[in-house]
Amino acid sequence: MLRFLLPRLASAALAALVSSLVVFVLMRSVPGDIVGQMLGQTIDPTASAALRTFFGLDQAMHTQFVDWLARVLQGDLGRSWYQGQAVTRMISEAFTVTLQIALLTLVLATLIGVPLGVIAGIYEGRRLDAAIQAFNLIGLSAPVFWVGLMLLVGTSAFFNWSPPFAWRSPSEDLADNLAIVLLPVLSLAVLQAAAYSHFVRECMVGELRRDHVRAAFAKGLSPAQVYFKHALRNILIPLVTFMGMILIQILGGTVVIESLFSLPGLGRLILSGIQGRDYPVVQGALLFVVLIAISVNLAVDALYGLIDPRLRR
Amino acid sequence: MATGSRWTARLAIMLVAGTLAASAFAQTAGEVLLYGKTDPGARSGGRLTIGSLTEPPAMDPYHQAADARIRVTVLSYQGLFYESASGEAIPLLAESFTVSPDGLTYTIKLRQGVKFHTGQTMSAEDVKYSYDYLRDPKNGSPGAGDFSTVQTIDAPDAQTVVFRLSSRNGLLPITLTHRYGGVIPKDYFATPDARARLNQQSVGTGPFKLKQFRQNSVLVFEKFQDYWQKGLPHLEEVTFAFMPNSAAMVVAARSGRVDMGIFTRPQDAEQLTSTAGLKLVRTPSMNQKSIDLGSEHPILKDERVRQAIALAVDKEAVMKASISGYGQVLGTMVAGMQARWGLPLSEVPNQKVDLGRARRLLAEAGHPNGFEIDLTTIITYDWMDAAAVLIAEQLKQIGIRVNIKKVELGVWVRNFQSKQMGFTFNDWPSSPDPSLLFYRHFRATPMGADFRNWNNAQASALLDRGREESDYAKRREIYNEFQKMLASSVPTIMMFSSDLLAVERDRVRNHQQHPTGWYFGVVKTWVAN
Repeated sequence: MLRFLLPRLASAALAALVSSLVVFVLMRSVPGDIVGQMLGQTIDPTASAALRTFFGLDQAMHTQFVDWLARVLQGDLGRSWYQGQAVTRMISEAFTVTLQIALLTLVLATLIGVPLGVIAGIYEGRRLDAAIQAFNLIGLSAPVFWVGLMLLVGTSAFFNWSPPFAWRSPSEDLADNLAIVLLPVLSLAVLQAAAYSHFVRECMVGELRRDHVRAAFAKGLSPAQVYFKHALRNILIPLVTFMGMILIQILGGTVVIESLFSLPGLGRLILSGIQGRDYPVVQGALLFVVLIAISVNLAVDALYGLIDPRLRR
Repeated sequence: MATGSRWTARLAIMLVAGTLAASAFAQTAGEVLLYGKTDPGARSGGRLTIGSLTEPPAMDPYHQAADARIRVTVLSYQGLFYESASGEAIPLLAESFTVSPDGLTYTIKLRQGVKFHTGQTMSAEDVKYSYDYLRDPKNGSPGAGDFSTVQTIDAPDAQTVVFRLSSRNGLLPITLTHRYGGVIPKDYFATPDARARLNQQSVGTGPFKLKQFRQNSVLVFEKFQDYWQKGLPHLEEVTFAFMPNSAAMVVAARSGRVDMGIFTRPQDAEQLTSTAGLKLVRTPSMNQKSIDLGSEHPILKDERVRQAIALAVDKEAVMKASISGYGQVLGTMVAGMQARWGLPLSEVPNQKVDLGRARRLLAEAGHPNGFEIDLTTIITYDWMDAAAVLIAEQLKQIGIRVNIKKVELGVWVRNFQSKQMGFTFNDWPSSPDPSLLFYRHFRATPMGADFRNWNNAQASALLDRGREESDYAKRREIYNEFQKMLASSVPTIMMFSSDLLAVERDRVRNHQQHPTGWYFGVVKTWVAN
């Protein structure tokens, strides 16, 4: 186990450090800072200097980075310069929103995409396959933003309905929560279901041509037994890898969907942080995103072992 | 309006005489006008939801210059005076005031029985603390510069505050309004986490208390039960829903999720005019869409080049193209103040398109074949995109080849503050007074910021006189002269003010938008059920 974890953790730590440094330097190289935004048309040098001191911007850049890093290592991401709230709290609030959307999307996309892919694989070359492939093509080529907008405008035009605007977590108000996440999840799921279906079909087609499948048929097993026990089982490993990739992709794709549907998720937190030059928020949230991506990859690696005992050695 | 102008006349007489005790009449007249007109049929209760495309970065009126912040904090924080829609300073937390004959001492009597949201009663010490904090540049408030002529603030007794000035400043009352600061309890900023806490809890005296501020989602205000104006506000609760894009807002307005939507693009608002139960309300504003011509630019520093550009720009056509005509073409004054302070449009130089003269001016300036120049536009300011294309076409007629350069707002602000504006579009709001509009922007340094490096001594002298003078008629003369100078020397081309656009449901009553775009009008808004 240690031999599995240690090298991965070391490279994860390095990746987090390097990306943090890049974000730190990039944010400070972008013209304009919070002081400029707070003072607007005022350019009083005393006021400007006072604010720079208040935010620690008068320190040398490497001092600022070391200070920030030292606090991060103690689990303190600092406070938002605008909101005054702890960045960790802002991230956790925003991430629960994004995570709910992402997980629901993943579930829905899996439920739609995997069966479609399996069916298309089984019926390779026939009409059903062509229909499913058409769906895949449309789903893969339609931009999330466009699908979301069409759903939003469409439901408004046909049902005179629009989602509630104020975010409610499932524990606050489940009905409202589901009404809020319905359209965003649908718009994301269409795309991901198509990606899934395409991927599973390819795997399935390849698998069904292999010798052990033919042998199973020759043995007289029922098609259901062949498909589910002999073919599908072998595509689980690539499927899990693919799920990990999709999850990361969905987490990234929510930025657009959060903006479209007014959701206070991680993407919008980062976006408004960048626009306002709220360095602690941007640095903290991006570090968090990097950690998430690393953990998903780690989890996928670990899952291989569970699915395929040969990989445990 | 009649009472308003009578009050103004009185104010002028009182200031000139230098002795005054505001009469009972003046106070009542003023109070009626606070927060817009009173609706005798108004009923109390109910909630209002307003959709907004802009979101305040924070709720701190002392340290945030953003207009999106001012719009909403005016509901929770109050100054000593209120800036009426027509640009007068009407006593608010002040009850009356007197000015010494030399114009250097303002003695302000405070209203009694005013409570803070924290429960304390307001006294002169709180007022002194608030304005002393605001004007000390070490506290980093964008409002500090407005108080450069204030020498001391004293609180001789619980109901009296005395401002002593180093030089005459006729606009002190309008400075004590709402753009920055507001009266808060003494020593508030000495308490731990004071700035951050303003995002969760308001500490002003205004009609609404902050209930909840959730970034990227909603801002909720509730009625302040101990508010000093009896019977106000009418609404129990006001919610601002922040919409990141206009499609979501159109949908929310149509389905009734919001009672009112404040739009920035006419084409979005227009989509709703055919929906039953919704109406589009236009209000002339105090913002201006302009083209700035910074004299640090090697070509633009020649006045003749700037005049030539002004003569080639067809403001009307640009307004039609960029905001579908939902606005007012400007001379040298924003629409909301044109009647009271504007030079009549017929008297403003360089307003009619005259390509012949423009070409001659360019030739005289040594550019007979025109030149090439970058025009800066700001990303997310939609109107600028259409306007830039049209301006490029218009300037091509006199040989100026325009490259459109899009920059992000933060970058633009940096260029602006470092006085490297070059040739750029600008979009800025104003407080309702010509000095607040012009002084900082056009007065030469160090008194002003002179962002466009205009460095015009004559204009600066006029701006100084305008600030010292308190007589309305004389001020008007001074500012008319200044506006002529502005239009003939062209450090900026004020093109148009876009109207404020509100789409309201039937149940929304007596909502009067203030020309600043700040939500003062919500105080007297009520809802029918």
